Amino acid sequence: MAKKGLVVKVKELKTNIAVVKGLEVSIGKIVDDTWEEPEGPTPFPSMTDLRDWDFKLLQRYKPFYLPFCDVCCLCTFGKCDLSGDKRGACGLNMAAQSSRIVLLACCIGAATHTAHARHLIHHLIEKHGRNFPLDQGGLNIDIEAPVTRLVCGIRPKTLKDLEDAVEWAEEQVTHCLSATHTGQEGSNLDFESKAFHVGMADQVGMEIADLAQISVYNFPKADPEAPLVELGFGAADVKKPTILVIGHNVPSSVGIIDYLTKKKLLGKVEVVGICCTAIDLTRYSTAAKIVGPISWQLKYIRSGLADLIVVDEQCIRADALEEAQKVKTPVIASSPKNCLGLENSTDKPANELISKLVEGKVPGVLIFDPEKVGEVAVESVMAVAPKRNKFSIIPEIDEIIAAGKACSGCNECIRACPNNQPIPEAMKAAAEGNLKPFAEIFDNCVGCARCDSACPKDFPLHSFMIKAGEDKSLSEKFMMRSGRGAIQDIEIRNVGGPIVLGEIPGIVALVGCANYPDGNEAVAEIAEEFAKRRYIVVLSGCAAMSAAMVKDEEGKTIYEKYPGGFEAGGVLNVGSCVANPHIAGAAIKVASIFAKRNIRANYEEIADYIHNRVGAVGLAWGAMSQKAASIAAGFWRLGVPVIVGPHGSKYRRMLLGRKDKKEDWYVYDARTGDKVYTGPTPEHLFTTAETKEEAIVMIAKLCMRPNDTTKGRSMKLTHYIDLHKRYYGVMPDDVHLYVRNKMDIPITMKPEVLKILEEKNWKETRIPDPTLLKRMIRKRG
Amino acid sequence: MSMFEDIPVDVGVIYEGERIRRNNMQVELGGPKQPAKFELVRAKKMDEVEDEKVTVIGPDLKDLPEGGNVPFGIYIEVAGKDIEEDLEGVTERRIHEYLNFIEGIMHLNQRYDIWIRVSKKSFQKGLNSFTYLGKVLARLYKSELPFIEKIQITFITDPAKVKEMYDQAAEIYEARDAKARGMKDEEVDTFYGCTLCQSFAPTHMCVITPQRYSNCGSISWFDGRASAQVDPKGPVFAINKGDLLDAEKGEFSGINETIKQKTLGSVDRVWMYTGFGYPHTSCGCFEAMAFYIPEVEGYGIVDRGFNGVTVNGLPFSTLADSGAGGRQVDGFHGIAIEYMRSPKFLQADGGWDRVVWMPQSVKDRVKEFMPKEAIANVATENDVKTVDELTTFLKEKSHPVVQRWKEATVEAAPATEGEEALDGIAFPVSTATVAAGGFKIIFINAKIHAEKVIIKRDKPKR
Repeated sequence: MAKKGLVVKVKELKTNIAVVKGLEVSIGKIVDDTWEEPEGPTPFPSMTDLRDWDFKLLQRYKPFYLPFCDVCCLCTFGKCDLSGDKRGACGLNMAAQSSRIVLLACCIGAATHTAHARHLIHHLIEKHGRNFPLDQGGLNIDIEAPVTRLVCGIRPKTLKDLEDAVEWAEEQVTHCLSATHTGQEGSNLDFESKAFHVGMADQVGMEIADLAQISVYNFPKADPEAPLVELGFGAADVKKPTILVIGHNVPSSVGIIDYLTKKKLLGKVEVVGICCTAIDLTRYSTAAKIVGPISWQLKYIRSGLADLIVVDEQCIRADALEEAQKVKTPVIASSPKNCLGLENSTDKPANELISKLVEGKVPGVLIFDPEKVGEVAVESVMAVAPKRNKFSIIPEIDEIIAAGKACSGCNECIRACPNNQPIPEAMKAAAEGNLKPFAEIFDNCVGCARCDSACPKDFPLHSFMIKAGEDKSLSEKFMMRSGRGAIQDIEIRNVGGPIVLGEIPGIVALVGCANYPDGNEAVAEIAEEFAKRRYIVVLSGCAAMSAAMVKDEEGKTIYEKYPGGFEAGGVLNVGSCVANPHIAGAAIKVASIFAKRNIRANYEEIADYIHNRVGAVGLAWGAMSQKAASIAAGFWRLGVPVIVGPHGSKYRRMLLGRKDKKEDWYVYDARTGDKVYTGPTPEHLFTTAETKEEAIVMIAKLCMRPNDTTKGRSMKLTHYIDLHKRYYGVMPDDVHLYVRNKMDIPITMKPEVLKILEEKNWKETRIPDPTLLKRMIRKRG
Repeated sequence: MSMFEDIPVDVGVIYEGERIRRNNMQVELGGPKQPAKFELVRAKKMDEVEDEKVTVIGPDLKDLPEGGNVPFGIYIEVAGKDIEEDLEGVTERRIHEYLNFIEGIMHLNQRYDIWIRVSKKSFQKGLNSFTYLGKVLARLYKSELPFIEKIQITFITDPAKVKEMYDQAAEIYEARDAKARGMKDEEVDTFYGCTLCQSFAPTHMCVITPQRYSNCGSISWFDGRASAQVDPKGPVFAINKGDLLDAEKGEFSGINETIKQKTLGSVDRVWMYTGFGYPHTSCGCFEAMAFYIPEVEGYGIVDRGFNGVTVNGLPFSTLADSGAGGRQVDGFHGIAIEYMRSPKFLQADGGWDRVVWMPQSVKDRVKEFMPKEAIANVATENDVKTVDELTTFLKEKSHPVVQRWKEATVEAAPATEGEEALDGIAFPVSTATVAAGGFKIIFINAKIHAEKVIIKRDKPKR
């Protein structure tokens, strides 16, 4: 438990053995160590405590750098050209610089989540007290906060206990960030190790944030049947006054719901959300609705459907205020991290702020008090809505046709488009009165509006898309399962049997942002492909929202078709970005529950366990942010492979295994101490996929682990081979690397696989009790 | 090169979970509307089986009414030098798995409950004869279960013939069940070990006997026998039970030797029928846990499906954690529900005489195998909520454990947080450990200023 000072002064004390006068006892810190699990070797680890483990992983998964930029311009020595074998003025080469940028990105990401956690616990302690009990899932969870237990070695019970962990995470971010200063770290591998470290700290920060909000706001607690909530442009009845919330940190949005509830206005005002705040708000109240992932911001704002916008923090468009002004929508900024240049009005009377917003005297106000945000937002929106009358800047069709005719075909728009959408062709078609191509682009558009900025004629091309897609989008409504939070211990026990018997071939986590190359559909398709095949599919954040945005012929989304439990064919939304540690936590709990491994401050052993045994793979198909980088880094250190979509190569480096190098794929057999060849399982730690088909095949392949039972391996291979054949049209060329003995061969593919084994001169190997750590060898004597 | 080139539809594991809705079905075979339907595997002599022969008695698939529902039977005869009657049941259960691999076939249930649908789409692709199903089954059986050297398969849609064979099959099922239920550990020389879970719990091994199922509830002695035959080097293997060292507790020299070898000595002795001493280890996926309640000297049982707290105030998740991970922990004993139906169930501890509490849902599942008195004597969550209430309940029912109380001595006084521990402050030592009823307070650098006070719970003495 947490720090607490204690001073006792005793004038006179008589005991059996002594009489003491003027005794003064002061105690710096009281540590509740009634937790019987022994503390492992790395409580509150420093930046280098787990460096040996990192190097083990980096030895096998060597960094492969893809410099996004040839120069470094971080100090005034530069800018320095680092191409070829050149070094910068500070002595750094391209490998180190690339890994330094990776570390920098991970530090930004980890800082963001940790600051988010810090803000939440600060706010929640202020409101509910330090002794507010934490509760992640009642009776069905014995191992609460698995990441914090594993990393920090503490078992938080109340809000105040979280402070120690968040303080540690803050310290790590500072140290790691400092290593990126000119003239500090020089080795690329050490930069990588620090990126892993800060990624691990990020997992703690996120876990704390979610644990705090689940406990205090009473979000669904590890609930497989978390409610289904509405999502889409058409989810809200926008005839009503509509508040749009954007961001990640939910207290100000909670303030809105609370005020509506208090004033009995729930149902009279719509509250819709974009990005993680939206997910978290539906975890708080099913009256809230979700517009969609991050990419929907401009689409919604410009449509004029929102009568008031409340922004908090993270992933909010920097021009949200300007865009809102164009449609006469007032904005309330509520986070110190995102003040938008507005005057701080936290201490001003609510009435004054309301009238300023309603009369349009200011474009927005800055209020840090969530309760005041609630009052001002609700009271303002009711007065603003009739005045605005859903004013929109979406152009009429004839304007688009005229623009199409005036377009010079310079192609600047398509050059600016991150996904190469055929905007020039759409303009040509528009000139003929055909808006269909624009409507198709609308479906695929990530909403960056770089085309608008690029157009020399200043045509609002993004708005053209919105107009063209309006008929479809305005009526669109989908069902998404609200964020359920953690995975129950019991659920993990239930899948033990099916996993060893091969009935569940793996765990697929679809996470991250919405920077998709071709729309939302891919995420939904990938999720369903694996749910159908009885994998466990776990989702979070924008990916969880995108997966809801496809319906089958009966009008059902995957959340309506598949169970929400951690089970074969389950489709689980754990929650917002900060819910990601529930996925890592499930893997950690496997080690505790099945092998009874101590998890307390025992990171290396548990990461080794997970890496060699738990067939989990992460896919961040639309990864965009620095937060996505640090989330991925947290999984790398646990040894869980991560795949990113095509834009992910811009993170500048991959961690790729070399299946052709047999020497890279040996583990110790903990039973005998022998080194045993396991084949490339899993082949990569971080890689990119160009197409969804490539991603699907890669996921199936990366689910294999050295410990797979023959039943498990045969099932995993079945899916890998089947998917490879389906999407590439041929048998994969590396099947022989994954067959350890003939029992591994998929039962319906025996003759063809046997033929390959013969051609490749395959030899039987044994299934070890795998570990990369010599100290885990159990052989005695 | 594929095994199934001559089959008009795809065959693969990925079709296993396929659901065929009424609108998409060509025909339904068996199912709830048919009183008589069955699938049956019989072991035959080599000369009684014509290998890979497929026979259809009654109309074939293409001649069955579209959208209709017909009586149905599958009769499979297998032969091979290692085939024995004991393997019929496990072989039969594979029909479900293998038929589901066929694209456009949905097979549910087993034995006299089978329910099969053929999809329109697959029918249109050419899956219009039972011969194809027969070919797939024959090839998969021979490839997966090498003890099958010859196999012949008969599909029956003729109502009279289905009825006739259904009656025979029912007798065979009954006889098979009676034999399995009556089979005793004493009657076999071979038990089976299963180390499948070692992939996650490296020190756990299950011992499967006719009267003790695997902890997960998925592998019977018969399953073990079949798996060990198919892949003797695999994770399910034969254990020569060796000498009987203790009949009451269930100690066998063969089990001890095998478990010592398979767990590298971390476990070297197992008593099969008790939760104390050297109990069978618990992995992580046991279906239920028998947990000892010292206050009443009896066992509570709780299964994974029970969401509340048990009578001692702890939920399954906490109790399960006390025994898991391939360890032998006194009084925390992972078990399969099926084991509760066995006469050997906790035999050395007193069996059902020692069970005092279980969830109603578990009681309902095993009721018919419980002794009559136990049904009334064992409390559920509907009867009692606390150990005190349980004590009263047991007294009222004169539960056999009450007898034991009379001999027992009174437990030590409950732990308290004692301020008297502060006495320890006076000691001018750099680290002082002070024991106070149930707690240990350690003062670090406590001469005047203690930087840190650690409060630890004392290990309860057993």
